[in-house]
Amino acid sequence: MLVLGIEGTAWNLSASLVDDDNVLCQASSAYIPASGGIHPREAAQHAANNIASVIHQVLSSTDPRLIEGVAFSQGPGLGPCLRIVGTAARALSLRLGVPLIGVNHCIAHIEVGRWKTDLVDPIVLYVSGANSQVLSYRQQRYRILGETLDIGIGNCLDKFARSAGLPHPGGPKVERLAQESRNYLPMPYVVKGMDFSFSGIVTAATEALKSASLEEICYSFQETAFSMLVEVSERALSQMDKSDLLLAGGVGANMRLQEMLSVMCAQRGARFYAPKLEYLQDNGAMIAYTGLLMLRHGIKTAIESSGANPSFRPDEVEVPWIETH
Amino acid sequence: MDRDTLEVVTGAEAVVALRGHSVVKKRIPKDYRIAELDTKLRKERTRLEAKIQSDARRAGVPTPIIEAIDSFSITMERIEGPSVSSVMSEAVAENIGVVLCALHSAGIVHGDPTTRNMILSAGKVYLIDFGLSSYDRSLEARGVDVHVFFQTLQATDDRFPALKDAFLAGYARNCANAALILEKVNEIKERGRYL
Repeated sequence: MLVLGIEGTAWNLSASLVDDDNVLCQASSAYIPASGGIHPREAAQHAANNIASVIHQVLSSTDPRLIEGVAFSQGPGLGPCLRIVGTAARALSLRLGVPLIGVNHCIAHIEVGRWKTDLVDPIVLYVSGANSQVLSYRQQRYRILGETLDIGIGNCLDKFARSAGLPHPGGPKVERLAQESRNYLPMPYVVKGMDFSFSGIVTAATEALKSASLEEICYSFQETAFSMLVEVSERALSQMDKSDLLLAGGVGANMRLQEMLSVMCAQRGARFYAPKLEYLQDNGAMIAYTGLLMLRHGIKTAIESSGANPSFRPDEVEVPWIETH
Repeated sequence: MDRDTLEVVTGAEAVVALRGHSVVKKRIPKDYRIAELDTKLRKERTRLEAKIQSDARRAGVPTPIIEAIDSFSITMERIEGPSVSSVMSEAVAENIGVVLCALHSAGIVHGDPTTRNMILSAGKVYLIDFGLSSYDRSLEARGVDVHVFFQTLQATDDRFPALKDAFLAGYARNCANAALILEKVNEIKERGRYL
């Protein structure tokens, strides 16, 4: 089965064509803000300017008559971007005469990770700009065991990086600077059961700019925030009695976070998996592949219910394609 | 491990060992965290857990007596008896309601009041494992406690509706705001998770 998918929830506009086993083609166009962070209107303008081109690149890689479905990121994400992608997907599905499939962006991150690592039923740590959640599959749904009480880890890093005068995206710069220090400054460590909060770290780190070096602050920031994420991941493994951990989302590219998760898993005899960078970041293949799974299980989206859903939660989605023993 | 140690349970955060008439809960170092942060967290949490547990006991909530505390471990009285899940009845559920109300009235929420964390001993329901407890007087936090208890009950016992009513009767005996709490529990259930 061939499915075309379009991702466009924030910074990366990406279209892809997949079959059951492989990513056949992917074309992307990243929005890089001239200054500051992601501006929703500018991100949407970027999507509008480039969507015809990315879709064209993917369509021209195959005979369009072989495509059996058009999947698109329906949410969560920035409303203006979601509307561009939704409009393009509706048009394409009507033109090709194939079903439309509205995909939850968080679920797509998980599914592409499971696909590329062959995991069946892992605990998932999903960390991106706007989202930070610990999820576990149970009875036809991904359950949110824990999540941020305020902002996502990526936005938390970016927000601090902006106050420190670092260009967007801030995460990779903070990661590099953090390697230059081993001096830990205490920062607010907030874990409540399996939920966590990052806003206190942003305030503390911004405040520390007056008195400490940027390297020290970046180091302390990462150690504190990532320890919180690793702690809740471990609690989830323990409580759900699972032994696989899957990392998903763009912040997963951070090597210090990967190292900490892998140490935690090794210490408790669990296994840790992270897909390659191209599947951690937002990508069209994850939308196409999740659309394919949904279509295989008869799930389609009617035009009238295909509107953008900026606050679409992963536990709203029925997941009939996982077979646990 | 010395030879007097009988049984060991490893959780996400701590190792719990039965040693004679005592239970020793020790927070183990986590290699993924830098030592400074790891030491600080384990010390703070050990101290807080011991304080909350003894405050609860002082407020009349049956909990194990704390015998000793050092930087990372708490030694406490071992409570002999079955987990309430194996002896659940309407009377026990009502008793749990009374105990949880007493805890909440003392300004404490347990954080993880599953039936695994309750022991029936000499006719009294003991609360154990205050590792996720906090000082919190909010309706929300109390609602989460009750919701967590209902969830474990519902998942493990077919008599859930009757047991739930018995619990609420026990809770309402000394806690005038039981109706508000129940409303909160329903709201939390609707949300699908607790924020």
